Formats: sequence, C-alpha cells, structure tokens
Amino acid sequence: MNGRVQRMSFQQFMELTTTLLPLLLVMAVDSTRTVAASSSNQQCGNSLQQTLKLTRLAQKESVLLIKTYAAQGEMSELFCKVSVNDVPDPNISGLEPSERIASIYTHLQAFMAHFKRVYEQQTDLQLPSSPLLGELTVVSARSRDLAALMNGFYQSLFPNLPMPEPAGGPTMLPPPQNVFQQKVYGCAVLRTYKEFLSNVARELRTLKGKVCRRRMETNTFLLRMT
Amino acid sequence: MPQFSVSASSKSNCCPLWLIWVLLGLSAVHTHAKDVLGVPQQVSLSPDRFSRQLSISWLGGAATTFDLMILRTELNESVFYETLSVNPVSGQHLWNWTSAEPLECTSLSIKVRSRDGHMTSEWSNTQILRGNDLPSNDKCQVYPLDRVVPVGANTTFCCIVEEGKVFDDLFYSGAVMNTTRLSRRTYAGTVVNQGPSSSSGTNVVCYNSLRAKEPCGTVVFVGYPPLLSDFVCETHDLISAVCHWTEARDTMLYGKRRSSYSLNKRDCLQRGQKHKVCTVDHWEGNWTLVAVNFLGQYSLNDSAEILNRVHLVAPTKVSSVVNAWNATVLWQWKYRSYSSLRLVCQVELTCNGTKTNLTVSGVGLQSVVLSDLYPEEDYSVQVRCGAQLNFWKWGNWSEPFTFKTDTYVPEAPDVWIWMNRDNTGRIVWKPLTRRQSHGQITGYEFTLWSAEENVQHTQIFSPGTTAAPINLTQIAAFSSDKIIATIIAKNVKGSSQPASVVVPLRLTEPIALSRAVYTERGFPMTWQSDANATCGHVVEWIDAVCTRDCSVEWIKVAAGQTNVSVVSANFQPGVRYIFSLYSCSSEGRELLQRQQGYVQELVPSSSVLLSTSQQNSDVLLSWGEIPLLNRRGFLLGYNVYNSTGSELKLLVNLPDKGNRSYTVKGLSEGSHKFTVKAYTSAGEDTGATASITLELYADWLILEILTSLGITTLFLVIVSFICYKKRKWVKKAFYPDIPEPKLPGDWSRRQGPLDVKPSSHSIMHIVEKPEWDSSKEALVVIPEEDEDEEGQGMGDEPVDTDEPTSLSYYNQVVDERPIRPRFPDSSDSSASSLDSARTDVTYTGIQTSGSSLVFQLDSQASAEGHQPHADMSVNGGGGGDYRPQMQARAPSDDIALVSPEPFIEAASGGGYKPQSSWHLDSPVEGEESGGRAPSLGSPTSVASTQFLLPDGEEDTEERRQPSSSATTWFTNLLSSTKP
Repeated sequence: MNGRVQRMSFQQFMELTTTLLPLLLVMAVDSTRTVAASSSNQQCGNSLQQTLKLTRLAQKESVLLIKTYAAQGEMSELFCKVSVNDVPDPNISGLEPSERIASIYTHLQAFMAHFKRVYEQQTDLQLPSSPLLGELTVVSARSRDLAALMNGFYQSLFPNLPMPEPAGGPTMLPPPQNVFQQKVYGCAVLRTYKEFLSNVARELRTLKGKVCRRRMETNTFLLRMT
Repeated sequence: MPQFSVSASSKSNCCPLWLIWVLLGLSAVHTHAKDVLGVPQQVSLSPDRFSRQLSISWLGGAATTFDLMILRTELNESVFYETLSVNPVSGQHLWNWTSAEPLECTSLSIKVRSRDGHMTSEWSNTQILRGNDLPSNDKCQVYPLDRVVPVGANTTFCCIVEEGKVFDDLFYSGAVMNTTRLSRRTYAGTVVNQGPSSSSGTNVVCYNSLRAKEPCGTVVFVGYPPLLSDFVCETHDLISAVCHWTEARDTMLYGKRRSSYSLNKRDCLQRGQKHKVCTVDHWEGNWTLVAVNFLGQYSLNDSAEILNRVHLVAPTKVSSVVNAWNATVLWQWKYRSYSSLRLVCQVELTCNGTKTNLTVSGVGLQSVVLSDLYPEEDYSVQVRCGAQLNFWKWGNWSEPFTFKTDTYVPEAPDVWIWMNRDNTGRIVWKPLTRRQSHGQITGYEFTLWSAEENVQHTQIFSPGTTAAPINLTQIAAFSSDKIIATIIAKNVKGSSQPASVVVPLRLTEPIALSRAVYTERGFPMTWQSDANATCGHVVEWIDAVCTRDCSVEWIKVAAGQTNVSVVSANFQPGVRYIFSLYSCSSEGRELLQRQQGYVQELVPSSSVLLSTSQQNSDVLLSWGEIPLLNRRGFLLGYNVYNSTGSELKLLVNLPDKGNRSYTVKGLSEGSHKFTVKAYTSAGEDTGATASITLELYADWLILEILTSLGITTLFLVIVSFICYKKRKWVKKAFYPDIPEPKLPGDWSRRQGPLDVKPSSHSIMHIVEKPEWDSSKEALVVIPEEDEDEEGQGMGDEPVDTDEPTSLSYYNQVVDERPIRPRFPDSSDSSASSLDSARTDVTYTGIQTSGSSLVFQLDSQASAEGHQPHADMSVNGGGGGDYRPQMQARAPSDDIALVSPEPFIEAASGGGYKPQSSWHLDSPVEGEESGGRAPSLGSPTSVASTQFLLPDGEEDTEERRQPSSSATTWFTNLLSSTKP
C-alpha cells in the first residue's frame, strides 16, 4: 500500500514537472529578453535626448550668430529676408523615421558645406578679430557634432540600413557671387539653418515617442517569434 | 545744283566761255568736297565697364573733325554730343569716352559724322552698347558691383528694377539717394564725397515698390591708398635683415582689398595690423618697400651697413651665483656671432620695487657682478645689450631672473633709555628692519654691567621685544657709579655688535621748555658744538601728555654735527611733542635743551567748563583750563561772546595769561547767555555756553523802600511839627468855634432820641441773644427764619430782603464822660468835636441783604451809665427800626441786678431826621424823651460815609448823595468851620 502510494506520487510529480518545465523555460527566456529590450529602449531614449540637447544648443548658438551677423552692417535686417535658391531646404523629408533621420543627417552635411563657403566669404569682409568669424566656426563645428550624433543614432536604430546618399548628389554651392550677394547668401544660410534646427528639435521629440517605443515592440515581437 | 547760262554775242564770246569755265570749276570743287566728307564707316565700340570707359573707333577717311553723339537708347536722351578733332592712326579714328554712370545701367546708342566747317556728312550707322536693362535680363540689379573708391570720391549708382516691378528707392548706407531715370527700368543716383566704409563695405540697396520683398544691391568699399612710415631694416644675427614699417594711415580696406607689400620686389607677408615686418635672408644694404592697393601705391627706401644696424636679441638662460652682499649674474647668447662683438649691457636690478640700473661693457659679454647687495634680500634682474661700436639700439630685455642673497649677522640695534620720575625706566631699542636684521632675528640679549666691578646681569628677550624695564633701586646693588646697558641682536648667522647706553643713576633736572616750530623739513634743532659730546647728540621726543613709560622716539646725531631736523612718520597734527636734546659721552648723557611744539596746530577739541554767577547787576564768568590733550595747539586766549539769539556778539578777547574769568557789567534784568571760546592759531573751539537769569537786586530794593519811607516819615514829622506850631491857625482855619444855635425855648432838653427809620427795604433786627457770649465780640448773622420763630415784636410789616438796603445804623457814641445836659456852649461843642475825634467807630457801613445783624456795643457804652447793658434786642417793628447791639460786659445774670433800661422800639414807620444839633444823644436821653431808643452821638463821631436821612423828601437827596457825598461833606465841613 505504501509502495504504491509512493509510486503514484512520484509519477504525478514527474508529469507535473514535465508539464511545467517548458513553461518555466519560456517564461525565463521571455523575461530575459524583455529586460534586454527595455535596456535597449532606454539607450535609444538617452541617445535621442543627447541629440536633442545638442540640437537646442546649436539652435541657441545659431540665434546668437544671426544677431551678430545682422549687427555688422546697415540694412542687413532687410536684405536678410531675401530668399536664396541655393540654400538647403529647412524641411525634413521622408516618411519613415529612417528616412527622416537620414534627411537630417544629409541636411547637416549640406549646411556644413555652406558654412564653409560663408566663412570664406566673410573672411574677406571681416577683420580677423571679428566675433562673427568665431561664432561661425562654433556653429559649423556644432553642426558637425550634431551630424555625427545623428549618424550614430541612425546606426543604433537601423544597424542593417546604410545611411543613404543625398538624393541630389553632392551639395550644390552657389556660383561666384558679388559681395552683396554674399551678404544675402550668408544671412539666408544662417536663417535657414536656424529654421532647420527648429524642425530637427521637433522631429526628435516626435521620434522619441515613435522610434524608441517601436524598437521595443519590434524587439519583443522578434523575441516572441523565436 | 549750280546753275549757269550761255550768251551768243561775238564781241563778248570770250566772256561766257570764261564764265562757263568758272562755273565748271566751282562745280568740280563742290563735287570734290562731297567726296572728302564721307560718312564714317566701321564704327565700333569697346567698353571697359570697370572704368566706365567706352572706346569708339571708326574709319573716317581724311576727315579730322567729327561729331560724336551718344544717346540713351530707350529714352533717346542725348548723353554726349560734341565736335571732336581726332587724328587717324592707321586710318582709324579713336575716341575714349567715360560715362558718368556704369555702362551696365542702360543701353547707349553711338553715331558719328564727319565735319568740315559747317559741312557735315551723314551720320554713321548707330552702334548700340547694350546695357543690362534689356528685357531678356529681367532681374533686379545694382551697378557698379564691388567697387573700391577713395574717400571723398563721387560715385553714381544705378538700379535696374526687376521686370514688371516699380522702382521705389535707392539707399546708400541706409540713406535715400536722389535718383534720375535713365531708362524704362533704370534709375541712377550719385553719392558725393563718400566717407570711409566699414570692413564689410557700404551697402547700396535698391527697393521696388514691394519694399519688403527681395531687394537687390551692391557693396562699395571706400578707403584710402596706402601710406607708410618708419621703414627701417636691421639685423639680429649679423647676417639677415629684418625690415619694419608702420602703416601711417589705415586704408580701411581689408580682405582682398588690403594693401600688398613687396621688399626689393619680393612679396612680404605682414604680421599684425599696424606694425609690419618683412625678413630678408641676407643683408643687401639698400631696400625699397612698395605698398599697393586698389586705390594706389606707396614706396619707401632705406639703406645702411650691417654693423650700424645691430639689434641684439635678449640674453637667454640667465643664472646667478649669490653671496650675502654680492652676486654674479650670468647669461648666454642665441647667436655665436655675438661672441666677437663688443657689447654694452644694461642690468636692471629690482629690490622691493626699487629699480637700479647698472651698465657694463665687454666683448661678447655674458656675466656681470652685482655688489652692494643686502643680505637676505630678494632681487630681480633683467639684462639687455647693444653693440658698443656704432650703437644702434638696445636689444630686448631678458626675462626677469630672481635670486635671494645669503643671510648675515644683524646690525647693532639703536638703543636709548627712558627714565620715569620714580627711578624706574626702560631701555628701549628700535626693531631692526629687514635691511638691518640680515635674516630672521631669533632674539635680543640684554645686559646690565658695571665695567669697574665687571658684574653683569643678562636677560634674553624674544624677537618682538623692543624694551627692557629697569629699576634704579635694583641697580643700586651695583656699587659702581657707572652702569651700562647693552643690547645684542641675534639671528641664525650669529650676534650683532653690542649697542650700549649708560644708565643715568641720578635724575636729570628738567629745564625750561622753549617753543619748537615745525617747518617743511621737520622740527629744526641747533646746539653749540661740544667737545665733551664724544658720541654725538641724541634728540628724543615724546607726546607731551605722556608722563610715565612714554613711547619715546629718538634720533642720534653724529659728533661734530650741531643741528638736525627732527622728522617722524608718527608725528600727528594737534599733538604736542616735547623734544629733549642730550649730549652723549662715555660718562652718560646730559640734557641740553627742551622744546615743545606741534606739527600742525588745530582748534581745541573740547571747550572750557564755564560757570556764571551774579554779582549785583554784573555777571562773573569763570571757566576751567582745557586739558592739554584737548588743546591741540598753543592756547592764545579766550573770546567771550554774548549770545543773542543765533548771533554771537564779541564782548572781549582775553589773551591767555592765566586769567580765566571775566565780569560782564551793567546787565539788565532777564536771561543772558554767554559763550567762551578758547582759540589757538588754528582758530576757536566750538565754545562753552552758559545762561544766567539776572534777578532784581533785593537789597537795593529794600534800601530804596526804606529811603522812601524815611523821607515820607520825615515829611510827616515836619508837617506835624508845623501843624503843631501853627495849631491855632489850623484850629482857626479848620475847626472854628461853632456858634451856639439860638433856639426859642428850651430845646436842649427836648432833644429826643433820633428816630431812625430804615428803608422799607432794609430791616435790621437787633436781637437779644440770651446765650450770647460776651467774651466773643462778633457780629452774628441772624437768619430771617429765626426772626419769624422768635416773633418778638415783629410787626406785621413785611420784610423785604430782596432789595438791597441802604445802610441803616446807629452810631454809638463812646463817651466816658457822665451824661450831662447839653448847653449851647461853644467850648463844649468844640470839646465834643475834639472828643469825637477820639471816638472809636464801632461799626460802619454794614450792609445786609435780608439779614438781621447783631451788633456788639462797645464796652465804652457802659461807661455812659447804661451799665450793665444786658443784651437788648430791638425788635424791629414794621418800620424795621434797629439799633446797634450793645456788647455787655457783664453776663446775662447781671441784668437782674441792674434794672435794664429797655430799648424802646422804634415807632413803626418812624424815620430819623438829620441831627438838628451836635448834642450827644444818649440812651438816657432817649428814655427821657419818651421811650425813644437812644440816639447816636455827634456826627463828628461818625466815620460814616453817608448821612442818614428819613423817608420822604430826604429820599431825593439820599439818591443824589452817592455822587456828591464827598463834596457835600467838604462843603459842610467848610461851612461848619465858618464862624
């Protein structure tokens, strides 16, 4: 009697164990991957937050630069309103986040080329001690840093997607200009850049709630599929 | 067309022929002329848009004079139309025309024709120089572009409005320009006398009517051509040349428009904005510097031998070898070529902010010895050198190099002695300065010793100590007469030389103080040369306020010197200093002089303590002495002021000769305020003010009163005496004998009592008061209620107490004489009059209002035989009669003993008549006269102010009496005196 009872208990235990073990294993693995996904999402948020902070800093510096630029000559506040064709579009293109992030990156690259041109032109018009040249250098460097951050952010989000080349090919710079055109062009570049940075900041805030969450969901989905 | 005719006449056949030939000739000439003035061909234009110059060339044949016309094509306005003389070059005629406006502004039409005098050819084909305002170029444009012009130039700008837009304004540096229209789209304006522009140029902006949208513009740079100065070349290494120059004027052109420089036709890269440098590898001896910019060029030349332009570089690797009192500074040169060069070097030594320059020379100089340094001191040194031969300029200073000299034993302290008046004192010494201590002082060694006995007492003091107390009573242990105090300073390197001072065992008697005057150099002190002063003289000074253990300062003067100016950083204005001059010898010190003085006198810091006291009508002001500390100058005196309101009136100036009181005389009663101000050479102090109120002088007043009384008394005595002497005359004059009235019958005995009827409004009751206390002589007021209650004799007559009553009374005649009948005896009457003068008035003018009065009769009444007079009440009847209440001497019990003679009630309504005689009325007589109340005495006994009149006809007189009573009385008096 006792021996049977013992056998029955052992068999029931083994059956229960056989039933529960896979479930426990699945739960353990799922838990681990959820933690990993959560960590990755946090990293995404941090990277985005860092990029957003740098964007805001660049935005402030660009505002100051425009003020300095406008203060260097009479009536500059008027011809600063002239629209120039050769300046990059401040709007971010693309539908998918990857496209929009890539658009930000390519825009930044384009602006860096324009900053270089503006710096060259202003070197001919400013004294070496002019604050305008120094601020131009800072804004240009900040644009480069922001581009690097955007590139890293893109790579972290879409590691398997290479950064697309600019659609229009290499950055188109304006043809040789007279001094008045240079002044108008320089101001247009700075003004457009400031507007572009506003758009970038807005875009990054949108991406924060969109990309990082989606990434988490994607990771969870992929894990469950496995 | 020339016209000509032909004639058929034979005689004159030759004439028409001649004429034909002439005409043919003229025609030929004309035809030839037409061939020379051909139309200019192949007109071509060559514009130089930068210089706004248009070169016009054409083929004009042999003609040398042409008409040139330039029009603005669109508006067909003439811009230029002149007749030109142009010589052909290789058959081509060329004319350069400079446009006022940029050639891009609008299209120009050019045509030429030949001219010969008044004859001209046809115009050539019009050549058009196309402007940028063609419809095909529809954008907004402004010209000239990026032009560089000199300051003060005039420039014409034109704006080509965008196709389809309307021109609005053309701005130059933010200012609107006056414009003219050149074509359909082109407007031009000229700026005159342009000022220099900024580094980014001056903006010229053209607006269309939609001002806020897309302006176009250009930039013009206005500056100066280069101007240089101070061009010089020199060498640092004796091989290459370094040339410097200065931009004497900023060209205001930067970037691509800045000046470019070339030195001996080699481009120079400048550094800096104003001071330019260009280096040439080898010394060439002659240099030409050329500066060029858009507006012009400027050149400078320089030439020199290399040894005349040696500019040494700064010494490097400076080091030192240091001792306590000197140091050697070493350095190296960058170029070996200096080693053979004879150099002159300047060494700048800095210590505690003080700089000392030292110049040394030598071939290839690389070190210098610095002497006369101080031990334990920080020094900083810099070196620069130049070529000694053909000195050009000093080289650059080396970097500052610092070093510190070594430590050395300290110097001997400067020691002195201060003695109090109680045989105590202090040995004091000045703390050693950094220069004197030669290192950190570790302590002081103080020794008292007797050279004769070779006994010494030593103490060690800490580095901060500057005084050692001594006590002569303790020194008395030394039996020697000469005790020497010695101080030795110590540091890590050892001990200083001892500094000694002889301790004076006997107190020096003070000598008189003289005044010391401060000058710009201090307090000058002079003295006679003294051979005994072997170790010179010492001047010590203290604050005059100090009396014990004073903070003494001193200065030691070398032997042989006979004057010194005492200066101290511690001197304070307003502090009195006492200076003592001592001669110094091996035996001790001897006081020679004492002076006192101020560096600067100030006004006293406190006022005197002022007190006042009245002395009769004078005021004595007295005040105390201002403490020496507060005087702050030598007191010159005191000013005494009288303060009236806010003003001070100077009463007296009292020079300070010890007198500190002043009497202000002749003051009136009332309050007075006085201010006393002490003054020094710097002025008055704030002053002490005291007030005093002068009161009337009582003694004098009493004296005046007594004097007045005495005079009055004397006068009265004199008058009395005169009256006494002249009494008969007085009697005769004032009291003549009254004649006895002559009456029919015996009226003398019928003289009844005077019936006094008081006014109906005044009722007076004479109340007999049984319990009357005779010992009290008083008038007792009896209220009406009492009267009613008693009802004694009160008639039914109403008592009116509301109305004021006339005085009703009796005069009680006091006469001690027995009553006797009155006879018309003038002597009696006279005597009676005289007696009446001695009659006491028992009552006068008592007036009541609705009250009953109780009169006390004089005791004299009893002497008239009425004694004992009991209290007799006279009950006023309806007429309100009353009698004076006689004061009884005897108690009421006596009444029984003496039959009383009752007063007779006054008849109601009975009044009294004027006394018809001056006979005495007595109660007895009253009794005899039929119970009438005793009448009053003689009028002379009455001190009444009014006569009593009965009712009736007397009322009118009574009413008149108040106003004329005195007159009437006097009249009566005079009339009564009449014989």
